[in-house]
Amino acid sequence: MKARTPSAQVLTAVLCIAAASFALWPLATLDEAWPEGIRDYLESRGQDESGARNLVSAIYLGYRGYDTLGETIVLLVAVSGAIGMIGAAGSKLAPGYADAAQGQVPVAKPTRRVHRRTELIDVVTGKLGPVVLVFGLYVMLFGHVSPGGGFQGGVVVASGIVFLGMGSKGAGLSPLVGAGTLARIEAAGFLALLLAAGLGIVSGAGFFAPPLRGVSPVGYIVALNAVIGLKVGAGIGFLCIAMLGETER
Amino acid sequence: MTARLIIGALFMVGLWALVAKRNLVKKVFGLTILNSAAVLLFIVEAGGSGDGAPIMGGGQRIVDPIPQALMLTAIVIGVCVTALALGMAYRLYKATGSMDIEEIRKRLGNG
Repeated sequence: MKARTPSAQVLTAVLCIAAASFALWPLATLDEAWPEGIRDYLESRGQDESGARNLVSAIYLGYRGYDTLGETIVLLVAVSGAIGMIGAAGSKLAPGYADAAQGQVPVAKPTRRVHRRTELIDVVTGKLGPVVLVFGLYVMLFGHVSPGGGFQGGVVVASGIVFLGMGSKGAGLSPLVGAGTLARIEAAGFLALLLAAGLGIVSGAGFFAPPLRGVSPVGYIVALNAVIGLKVGAGIGFLCIAMLGETER
Repeated sequence: MTARLIIGALFMVGLWALVAKRNLVKKVFGLTILNSAAVLLFIVEAGGSGDGAPIMGGGQRIVDPIPQALMLTAIVIGVCVTALALGMAYRLYKATGSMDIEEIRKRLGNG
């Protein structure tokens, strides 16, 4: 196959865009009313059935627990895949992260580092990290009554972890930023999610159902949100910190 | 209608980056923009079905929460796809020393 010239490439792209516009045009002119049956059902029964006032939480933790389980597995696989691919390419991961990629990766040495950032970023991110972590925990734990939930809170927690990692100047790493800690939190989170999902089977309520009958299921939603948030936060934080190892030095 | 056209334009920007750009990182950007356009389309379309956020107790007619729950999944999957795609781009860069897709094809020997 011979290399395409730039003009041929632009022509291909224009044709692609034109074809996509033609295919998507009916979507823009569609004049159907939004179906409201399910919305009305959720509005009248969703809170009682799932315990969550936030109906989005009610759906992804109450009605569609399987989806959430699959989603966390996809996230786990993506994080391991990305770490594996970057590590196997001979990249320098942050200290401690080489174990995660089969221990054959040259680890960046914590000594002899060139500062590419100003002191300002180090100081500000280091101080801001704990605040962001607390906000992430809030978003995570109050996901059933306000906008938020496990995934959103988890991502905020992950950015807090990245802040701590950036602010700790390599040598004095916060223990939370260590590879072992994050990997353990992620594994424990996944195990806890599976256990929480399986509890319903033991009590006869079914997979991903609140195990205690007669009690408001809101506690179950909060527990699931917390577990998912910890897992997502540790996973994405792990990925970001591992990638930081190369750019930092 | 206007919102749909703007989202369509955003989608086309992403598609353009995916098809016409030769830099792998810009292609990944394009993928992310495509994903955002799809997310926005669902949120905007469902937004017409009510007045308030889908949280009970506000006293308003809530919007349909199902597209929001679906898009939550889509965003997470989008992050996963981006991370994996960037990992692959990095791997190709390490193997060939270039981010240019034509250059990579040439250097890998089937160009």
